[in-house]
Amino acid sequence: MSERRPYVRPMPRDWWAHRPFRHYTIRELSGVTIAIYAAVLLSGLVALLRGPEAWDAWRGWLASPASLVLHGALLIAMLWHVRTWFQILPKTMPKLILGGTPVPQRTITLVGTSVAVICSSALVAFVLWRPF
Amino acid sequence: MTERADKTIELRVLRYNPEADEKPHHQSFTVPYTSDMSVLQGLQWIKDTVDGSLTYRWSCRMAICGSCGMMINAEPKLACHTLLRDLAPGPVTVEPLNHFPIERDLVVTVDDFVKKIESVTPWLIPKHPKPVSEGPYNQTPAQLAAYENFSACINCMLCYAACPQYGENPKFIGPAAMAILQRYDGDSRDGGSALRIDAVHGEDGVWGCTAVGACSDVCPKAVDPMHAVNQNKMNTALDYFLRFLKKRDAK
Ligand code: SF4
Ligand code: FES
Repeated sequence: MSERRPYVRPMPRDWWAHRPFRHYTIRELSGVTIAIYAAVLLSGLVALLRGPEAWDAWRGWLASPASLVLHGALLIAMLWHVRTWFQILPKTMPKLILGGTPVPQRTITLVGTSVAVICSSALVAFVLWRPF
Repeated sequence: MTERADKTIELRVLRYNPEADEKPHHQSFTVPYTSDMSVLQGLQWIKDTVDGSLTYRWSCRMAICGSCGMMINAEPKLACHTLLRDLAPGPVTVEPLNHFPIERDLVVTVDDFVKKIESVTPWLIPKHPKPVSEGPYNQTPAQLAAYENFSACINCMLCYAACPQYGENPKFIGPAAMAILQRYDGDSRDGGSALRIDAVHGEDGVWGCTAVGACSDVCPKAVDPMHAVNQNKMNTALDYFLRFLKKRDAK
């Protein structure tokens, strides 16, 4: 007679810190940059409400080395987030069938990323050169 | 000329005997191999020549029955579809699939997985039933393409062993069940989505997924279960709002 005694292995709590999940963890953490950006903008809005002095102080802080370093880091994290966001995009939408064959997921990612890059570049160019 | 097995590789196999062992432990075997031998064949050599009690599942030896899934060097793989020569010089760890209870050695309990598959009503429910005399239900290539990869699932459970969310919460419906659901939901002849939507809803449904994506990475049949899970997030959200509207209309 054999006895059944299934053995349940515990799930390691820090699975997210190890391969192959590191890529996923970094992707999710890079999403936090959006919240930090929002906080920076919100503090600007609060400064604006408080009056010209607070506003100037906020702008002064923006130009400080600490803020520049922070924004550099945020920009890198944000670009990474954009890249990974578009990598997942084809997984979240229904299958795209054109002319009887599914559109490759890589194409969807490429098109989405290109549109985002073009729109963002156009916005940056507009702000820098203000044509009107 | 047949190749001589003059090279050897060490397999560190996780052993568990429910009648004698408190918990599993590793046991090392030195296995002679030829360049065409799979990990499964390595296990068979052990069973035939060293220890007949070594227990594992297998059937087809050609990556189609889905029985021989195990963790090979900590990755979920089909043992019959993983060559020893690619793992040289070793050692190679061979363990039962993660996230499932171990019955004995490399054999895991599949009950939970089978129940999940059953819960998605995994058969075709004709949208417009008709007698055989009226001929077949035709389908265009585009309609076939809409679900074809999801129909390739061999129930090997590698995706569940890869999924940390299933490891955290065994109630989570998981990747393959959603791929199989989408195989039928996405079929132009099928009209059974309403019966399947309950398996999709809620924390134990698709929302337990955080898009880790490991399931699709390890799938040996390119089923892409991550796609099935995540496209159903949209379906469940839509269904939620439609139900909400219907309730309001009824008032
Ligand atoms: S979806 Fe892929 S990995 Fe998951 S059970 Fe099916 S064939 Fe195996
Ligand atoms: S023995 Fe059938 S899939 Fe490996």
